[in-house]
Amino acid sequence: MSTLEQLKEQIRKALPDLDVVIGWEQGYDAMHATPLFIRTEEDIDRLIWSPLCVHSLGTYLTGLTKTPNVRKVGLVVKGCDSRAIVQLTQERMIPRENIVLFGVGCTGCLSHARLEYKVEQGGHYVEDMHSITFNGDKVEVAVNGDVESFDFDTVCLEKCLTCRFPNAIATEHFAGEQVPVAPKCEKAPSLEAFEKLSLEERFAFWQDQMRRCVRCYACRNTCPMCVCRDHCISTSRNPHWVSQETSSAENFMFQMIHTMHLAGRCIECGECQRACPVDLPIMLFRRTMVHAMKDTFGYISGADPEATPPLLTFKVEEDNIKERGW
Amino acid sequence: MSANNPILPDMATILEVVDETPNIRTFRVRFNDEKLMQDFTFMPGQVGQLSAFGFGEATFVINSSPTRMDYLQFSVMKVGEVTGRLHTLKEGDSIGVRAPLGNWFPVDEMKGKDITFVAGGIGMAPLRTLLVYLLDNRKDYGKITLLYGARSPRDMAYQEDVREWRDRDDLDVVLTVDSPAEGWGESPEERVGLIPNVLMDINPSAKNAIAVTCGPPIMIKFTLQALKKLGFEDDQIITTLEKRMKCGVGLCGRCNIGTKYVCVDGPVFKYSELKDLPDEL
Amino acid sequence: MEAKFISHDETTLWLDELAERHVVLAPMWDNTVVTFRPHVKGRVPVLDRMPVMPPKDGVFPQNEVLLKYKHEKDPENLDRTTVQVKETLPQETAVVVGARPCGTRGMLVFDRVYDCDKIRDPYYVGRRQNTLFVTVACTRIESTCFCHDVGSHPADAEGSDVLLVPVKGGYVAEAVTERGEELLKASFFKPAAAKVQEAEEVKSVNREKLPEAHDYTGCGEKLMARFDDLAFWTEQSAKCISCGACTYLCPTCYCFNITDDSVGLAGKRLRTWDNCMSFQFTLEGSGHNPRPTKAHRLRNRVNHKFAYYPELHGVIACCGCGRCIKSCPASVDIRAIVKAAQNYTPKQEEGGDER
Repeated sequence: MSTLEQLKEQIRKALPDLDVVIGWEQGYDAMHATPLFIRTEEDIDRLIWSPLCVHSLGTYLTGLTKTPNVRKVGLVVKGCDSRAIVQLTQERMIPRENIVLFGVGCTGCLSHARLEYKVEQGGHYVEDMHSITFNGDKVEVAVNGDVESFDFDTVCLEKCLTCRFPNAIATEHFAGEQVPVAPKCEKAPSLEAFEKLSLEERFAFWQDQMRRCVRCYACRNTCPMCVCRDHCISTSRNPHWVSQETSSAENFMFQMIHTMHLAGRCIECGECQRACPVDLPIMLFRRTMVHAMKDTFGYISGADPEATPPLLTFKVEEDNIKERGW
Repeated sequence: MSANNPILPDMATILEVVDETPNIRTFRVRFNDEKLMQDFTFMPGQVGQLSAFGFGEATFVINSSPTRMDYLQFSVMKVGEVTGRLHTLKEGDSIGVRAPLGNWFPVDEMKGKDITFVAGGIGMAPLRTLLVYLLDNRKDYGKITLLYGARSPRDMAYQEDVREWRDRDDLDVVLTVDSPAEGWGESPEERVGLIPNVLMDINPSAKNAIAVTCGPPIMIKFTLQALKKLGFEDDQIITTLEKRMKCGVGLCGRCNIGTKYVCVDGPVFKYSELKDLPDEL
Repeated sequence: MEAKFISHDETTLWLDELAERHVVLAPMWDNTVVTFRPHVKGRVPVLDRMPVMPPKDGVFPQNEVLLKYKHEKDPENLDRTTVQVKETLPQETAVVVGARPCGTRGMLVFDRVYDCDKIRDPYYVGRRQNTLFVTVACTRIESTCFCHDVGSHPADAEGSDVLLVPVKGGYVAEAVTERGEELLKASFFKPAAAKVQEAEEVKSVNREKLPEAHDYTGCGEKLMARFDDLAFWTEQSAKCISCGACTYLCPTCYCFNITDDSVGLAGKRLRTWDNCMSFQFTLEGSGHNPRPTKAHRLRNRVNHKFAYYPELHGVIACCGCGRCIKSCPASVDIRAIVKAAQNYTPKQEEGGDER
């Protein structure tokens, strides 16, 4: 039985005890999946599972579990998605006992941006793509009568290249086989490149990038770890830390606040960057923070249900912070 | 408000600040441009945007009456950033005013009719302008009754006006507070109880009458029910709405209820109009 | 008006020349996306695709200073502060080059609101009168495109001053307005002659690429019939994440915020694009919110475009560009929501307790 069939079977069995199960279905065209809210048996038939299933569905939890008439929620999770649940549980942001996780092993998700670049490089128009097939480490795209084949590594999301958690953890159910842990590289290539820049160059880089942020807050709202929701500092006048003006400096300020709020919390699902309509390299912030948290506290967010997040605890003397040495 | 630029406030100066209740302050202002002040006209129920520069604008009813143009009066309840800042302003300070905005009470249509006012808390502000207007044109209107309720006696605004109104014999005044308070209730017009209940008690006649009500949403809801029981038809009930507004001129898109924009199609609505609007208050 | 021809290379030269007198906004690569930026001499505009942002920024900038203010202490009485206010109406003239017909038509939705008998917004009207639109006919029909559903087509010149139709080697330029005709007097434009036929073919070929148009007639009534059906809106908005990508990227979304920003005693009053998907948008000082959930807010957005605006102005306030679908992180499809209201049949089951 395929992973999808197993998944459907598990959901079918559990559905009577759940108000809703969130998975993915085919979106408005062949290239896109979209979140699916399963409430009835018939809905299950629409479920899909493929590298198009990119959305971290945990982002719906903080809102949904506070909705009247919704008590028990089921969620299909990839490895990265499950880390968000672990982390949110540790922070007591979600009633874990009312959440049932349907885990899967993930071999990586498609980056529409990278695929479209490749297709265009090959002399095609992206709107002419009419079907996509994932075949092991190859992706085949039917475009305007031709079939173009790409190595999956060249068109997947960058987060998938460094992924050490392809399999969902701490779940009630698991469909399909465990996927081998096989990161393609230690550090994301974009971060490697960024770190080679001098401080001045980095500043110039962000000034140039941040100009184009429209402050639509798609990055914030797709983030499963952004739990302030309707009370975000970015739109608050009290305190008034960020102006509504979309200047490079103000936008940078917002993105820095966002990053700081994710210290020790970001699970690198990459949803912020995927959601960004103007393709800001937001993950550079996040990854820098993630590395800092790992170096300073030896902590990887959402990786271990038994761990205590470093910012939820206090030590008089941190091992790697030499306050008195400054 | 400049005809050429409805978004640009006119500068005014605060003549006087009156502490009404622990959280309501009244500001009496005059435009700096004397000609503008002389030419300024408005109707009872129209609103203005007050600017606390550096903090923003908020909407308040002009609660003085067009029959008395020594100043424009606004009452501000302290609830947020702008109102908090406005509360720090003193006599002589500058303030920005964009007025008049919105529609007004149908004072002509109300002529010859008995008028019952039902006001709760800060909801007295929009009714004050109309009440003063009617009293200044007293002969045009029938019996006038004011029911004004507040949480406690000290939450009752316009104390000076209320004293004067109580002394008039061409106006019936009934005041009510939510719970018994010391020194309250010595005269029959001082009641204890929720506004809708007291209203039923007063039992105003719906015949050739208009009821005007304003207050917190929950009070309005039950007052409407009471008025219906008393026999008031939907087009005999008038209320004024409040919504978050930015532009005040029908552009910014946040005060709409369906196709109606509270800032230009309101704030004054008959209940008969309100009933036809989508339920999004 | 006679059509003209301009080659690709000369298009850039033409923009160089225009930029000497006007602000020229043209699509360019900004890192990995194409968006409108002020034209810089010699830079080749990217006219072969729909820019990620709509062209509305040219007339209705995301940030607009409405006024500047300055607090002044009274030297006689330091307790007293007066305020000086300065109006800051726009002065510059602009040419927006490279919008698609859908994006340009978006401005017409603004016009009926910002420049009508009831009100003339002087900031908007000032810019609108001083901005010309040079639109490029669309040759790339995407899965999210539905301009034809809302009464338009890939070569629609409505609202444009000049329409450029891509042909081999350049563009056939058609003046739509008198001011557009003035623009075509520049020396870079040559007689189009034989190219006109090619341009007509480009127009018809792309029009035919679109599937059969959906009929939105009567959708306003159907949507209003569902107004109080919160279960419907909860279902339709389930996957919405309540961000503002759809509104900021929409060529017809015109709602705004006004906020003051001070530095010391001086500051500015800013008008910025706002977003009805945000909880704060309608949050009142008392804490009451008439649109407390994303279901309420999405209802307002869809209804504004397909019910309220059509009732007030007679046309759908959507130009069918599809940006809200394409850029939605959760692929919420506004077409599907309106169709769901149009096709709604009451559920038969008894006692369903779904919200």
